[in-house]
Amino acid sequence: MSPAPTSPTPEREFVIRRRRLRFLGLSLDDVIRMFFGSNALVAMVVLGLITVFLFKEGAGFFGDNLDNLRIYRRAGLEYVDYLRRAEAEHTALTRYLSDLRLRTLQHYMNVEKLSVAEANAKLAEFDAFADRFAEPAEPIRGFVSDLTDVVAEIKTKHAVTLDQMEEKRQLVAVGREADADAIVVEPVDFDAELAPVLGTLPAFKEANRTFMRELQIALDDQPTLPTDELNQRLEKFQRLARTFIGTLPQVERDLESWDPTQPIPMWKAFTSFLFGRQWLTASFWQDWYGVLPLLVGSLMVSAVALALAVPLGVGAAIYVNQLASPAEQRFIKPCIEFISAFPSVVLGFFGIVFLGEHLRALSQVEWLSWVPGFPIAERLNVLTAGCLLALLSVPTIFTLAEDALNNVPRAFKEASFALGATRLQTILKITVPAGLSGIISAVLLGFGRVIGETMVVLLCAGNRIAIPDFSEGLAAFTQPVHTMTGIIAQEMGEVVRGSIHYRALFMVGLVLFFLALLINYIAQHIVRRYRISIG
Amino acid sequence: MTPATSTNPFAFRPSRARALEKGFSWIFRFATYAVLLAGAAVFFHIVAKGASTVFTAAPPFINAEFLFSAPETLYVFEYEGQRHEMGDREFRAFRASLGNPDISAETYAYSAGGIFPCIVGTLLLVGGAMTIALFLGVSAAIYLNEYARDTRAIRLIRLAVVNLAGVPSIVFGLFGFGLFVIFFGWNVSLLAGWFTLAFMVLPVVITASEEALKSIPKGFREGSLALGATKWQTIRKNVLPYALPGILTSSILGIARVAGETAPIMFTAAYVVRDRLPWEVAKWSDFFFQGVMALPYHIYVVSSKIPQNDYTERVQYGTALVFLLVVAAVATASIVLRNKLRKRYKW
Repeated sequence: MSPAPTSPTPEREFVIRRRRLRFLGLSLDDVIRMFFGSNALVAMVVLGLITVFLFKEGAGFFGDNLDNLRIYRRAGLEYVDYLRRAEAEHTALTRYLSDLRLRTLQHYMNVEKLSVAEANAKLAEFDAFADRFAEPAEPIRGFVSDLTDVVAEIKTKHAVTLDQMEEKRQLVAVGREADADAIVVEPVDFDAELAPVLGTLPAFKEANRTFMRELQIALDDQPTLPTDELNQRLEKFQRLARTFIGTLPQVERDLESWDPTQPIPMWKAFTSFLFGRQWLTASFWQDWYGVLPLLVGSLMVSAVALALAVPLGVGAAIYVNQLASPAEQRFIKPCIEFISAFPSVVLGFFGIVFLGEHLRALSQVEWLSWVPGFPIAERLNVLTAGCLLALLSVPTIFTLAEDALNNVPRAFKEASFALGATRLQTILKITVPAGLSGIISAVLLGFGRVIGETMVVLLCAGNRIAIPDFSEGLAAFTQPVHTMTGIIAQEMGEVVRGSIHYRALFMVGLVLFFLALLINYIAQHIVRRYRISIG
Repeated sequence: MTPATSTNPFAFRPSRARALEKGFSWIFRFATYAVLLAGAAVFFHIVAKGASTVFTAAPPFINAEFLFSAPETLYVFEYEGQRHEMGDREFRAFRASLGNPDISAETYAYSAGGIFPCIVGTLLLVGGAMTIALFLGVSAAIYLNEYARDTRAIRLIRLAVVNLAGVPSIVFGLFGFGLFVIFFGWNVSLLAGWFTLAFMVLPVVITASEEALKSIPKGFREGSLALGATKWQTIRKNVLPYALPGILTSSILGIARVAGETAPIMFTAAYVVRDRLPWEVAKWSDFFFQGVMALPYHIYVVSSKIPQNDYTERVQYGTALVFLLVVAAVATASIVLRNKLRKRYKW
């Protein structure tokens, strides 16, 4: 309390008329207001900068990738790949045969209790068959290795010329013209270099015919194996081998129609990234940057995580919000919030040292062998990572779903009770459907959390860059994969700044960024569009 | 008084609906406790295995060597029939005392010594990042809640905040790498890590602060304005003091998030190993431009780059436990404080 003025002096200025300090026409309040306003803009600026910088670092990728693909064709790597593929398929078939031999040997030794020598003697006929199948490939193998050397040489030459040109450019840039002129760049004459490669075509055709004929002969003379099961496998081999022989004329036709000068369209650079099935880097042959194996890996891990986290998270939300006593609520909510504070790297560590090993041990239990994919071969796989991510995303889903249930107007519930519905009926038919939009958006945000998670998948998903084999259905979920987040974290530290690989990683980041924004957008849209208004 | 035998219309009657209800409620209860059990399993597994490293049976009950010394390579060897386990420095001294004989030893990186530089690095990273995030976030929230009207631009800003919250942490890492490390040329440094982490946690701080500001009744502002105070005076004297506890407690949850993330600092601030402590710099400005070791990154390194066996387990579980305890303590503090606060302020 200030003392009341005793004797007001008449000449004192009226306080409201006091002039405020102004700078550039702005009062202090305006300045403060603008200061706060500019801080509010930061979120928007950051979002913009993220987009800009991901594009800035990643945009050059498509140009580089197009060059990469052009050289692949121009230097003849594509041509040789037709042959390599045929050879690889044949090798796969011989591997199948040696696997079959091992099984037969095990049968002889374990079931028929023969000694090793006896078993091997019994397998002599089979060995002869396998040799007859394997040997005809030798000339083809010769072709492949010769041509591989030649085209790899061409590619290296081209790389050297590029380096020389770059060096020259840099010398000119720093003003050392004389030194620059001293470097003589000889552009690679692709047509001339490729001529010997293409010249081998007639000889290859000849060899290919012989190859087909000999394989055919080898297949016609088939040994019999001791059990039905093994014979069935041999039958399957016959089928596969005959299909393989059927593809050989196609290889010839591909080689004939192959044209090194055919231009590669621009969109190939995009499609080979977005739909490329291979992510292969630092190889001596050809690098591929296809995001598909990584995307599939990310989605599979997320699928496992959500399959576990959605029932648990939403179930827990329903229980806590509708069924639990207040005391239980006070206990459970902080506990789940506490789980949300678990650092993901600690969970990943837990997966490596404990969960991976124990899940595998569990999968080897006899009475669980009906589960697809069990027993698990690898310690770290989709399932391990998925389980941990489920634990990570449950708190997100739980909290948001609980909020959604909380926001359902009381009147809905009361009306339902008044009509004589039980608690369960009210929950399942009134409360949950009314809060469904919120629950779905909770699930979506959980999905966003899972797909953006790095450390758990980096440590626990197995890091094998390949699209899992879906031929055995759900068993694919017990195979190791690599993910988009994981590959960035793993390879970013090792790549050369500005290289195509570096840019490719930024492109993966960009895909991830837009995926996250899309998920976020859909979640918000669902909440806004399907919100139930009170009244 | 009615006789006890008369039928009470509200008495419990078993029915299918009731049985079903019971069954379902058990399913939901099971789901809830399964989650809690899984969380508890992870927590207690790490506590049980890590406790022997971090704590000791004798006073002072914590393993000071582990907490306050730098990581070293562990040497395991047999010498004159005796098995020795020594850290790098001790091993060299041991060899020197014997006249440098050739001793063939198995080595395990990072498995001896402690994690002091990591603890220091994490504290520095979290402190700096939270300072920046709180400054930006609280200012933004003040603007959004006190000044802004519901215009298009403001809606856009709110949209940006919501979307920023959904950006994966590794994308923040890439962004920080592209902007701070390369474009600004800060290299792998504390400063780059601070800003990357601050931007990552910004949406959490803004949302929490707005929530806290919103809970201050309108009358507080109107009363002040009616007495002739300016807008800024009102905010400074009549809004912020009451909102501050709420802002701070909710922001602690942001601290847990900043401390717990690994991906954003992988390429912006963290070193695998660094001999000098952060304050051992030639000139003061170098302080901001040095990389540091950090607990989460150290866990990643020791769990993926070195083999798992009895010798390395010590440092692996020990680091994980220290980190988990730090983050858990921060999170618990925020939860407890918030619950207290909810009870205290009722306008």
